[in-house]
Amino acid sequence: MFTKLYAATWGDVGKAKEKGFFDFDLFSWMAWTWQTAAFFIFIALCIIVMLIWEKKVPGGSPRKGILGLDTTRGDRLFVSLLGSAFIHLAWLGLVGSLLWIASIICVAYFIVVFKYV
Amino acid sequence: MNKTINQKAWYFVIPVFVLVAFNAAIPLMTVVNYSFQETFGNNVFAWEGTRWFKQILLSERFHASLGRQFAFTFIILLIQIPLGIAIALTMPKKGWGVPVCLILMSMPLLIPWNVVGAMWNIFALPDIGFLGHTLNSVGFDYNFTQQPGDAWFTTILMDVWHWTSLVVLLSYAGLNSIQPAYYQAAEIDGASRWATFRYIELPKMKKVLTLAILLRFMDSFMIYTEPFVLTGGGPGNTTAFLSIDLVKMALGQFDLGPAAAMSLIYFFIVLLVCWIFYNLMMKNEAKS
Repeated sequence: MFTKLYAATWGDVGKAKEKGFFDFDLFSWMAWTWQTAAFFIFIALCIIVMLIWEKKVPGGSPRKGILGLDTTRGDRLFVSLLGSAFIHLAWLGLVGSLLWIASIICVAYFIVVFKYV
Repeated sequence: MNKTINQKAWYFVIPVFVLVAFNAAIPLMTVVNYSFQETFGNNVFAWEGTRWFKQILLSERFHASLGRQFAFTFIILLIQIPLGIAIALTMPKKGWGVPVCLILMSMPLLIPWNVVGAMWNIFALPDIGFLGHTLNSVGFDYNFTQQPGDAWFTTILMDVWHWTSLVVLLSYAGLNSIQPAYYQAAEIDGASRWATFRYIELPKMKKVLTLAILLRFMDSFMIYTEPFVLTGGGPGNTTAFLSIDLVKMALGQFDLGPAAAMSLIYFFIVLLVCWIFYNLMMKNEAKS
């Protein structure tokens, strides 16, 4: 899986691959890259943080937010993640480059959602 | 006496967890991985970054199939919901008619989707099909394999035939849960039939109708089998809805990267709509 810490490039196409420890056939079809792995680790971390938060302050702090919806922490995480996906897509479609600016917007969006929604 | 806390029951969730991991999480992760890479098979992948997402978001083809998808879903909702309510209102409330109507109504729901497609394909064939032949012999120039308008007409008719029953059954259940006292009160007040419907029946059916709209939206938004068997997305691409277009891209052209990006965008749209409907339903719940 992480035999190379960078993803393959066009130069690697057609070359024989070095077989790493995780490169068994059951697994290699999933085509992991460190970027996508980092993304899923981020999602997993979010869930772990939510679990710890729930242990510390149980109940999910329900409230009626600015959208007029009854939300808990989990709802807010979902809204943040889904909204971030759409912010990134919109940025890609409308602007096209410098995607990290969209990511910064998403951080701001996360904060707004967790504070007010 | 203190209750002992025993959380061991959570272990029983493990099998479901494993099942979901294998049939949902792992494939979804793989789709995410594919959407950032190019491959010609043989497990060789090359990093492409966000190229496929950009390509899909700006592609005419995706806009067209998304537009067709929304148009289709909108049209069938516009037909099926009022039609379903109307049929439910005319269904008998007691006597032998109830089981007969219920069974007749559930019949289309029990037929496998590819069979529905095949049935309607044969039914609508312009030369030998009952519908197609009849339409042609009374003077309509009908051919769903060649004319886009006819293909749309047939696809929508098929979906209405297949799924209106679901709306009927849900509305009927909603209607049956209304206490007779409401109707008596309406009668005493001299309410018209329309007023009874508008101020008693419709508000009481609100919950089931939200559910019906949600179910019909999701099913029609992800429709694949029936139009695939009926028209195969044709003539040309005129009935290639999102999922048909997606399969064409993924398996027909073997463009796994763009197809993965497209399916993720598709997935986000479905998630968003689901979330909106879920919140609408929860709002109704809280009110009542």
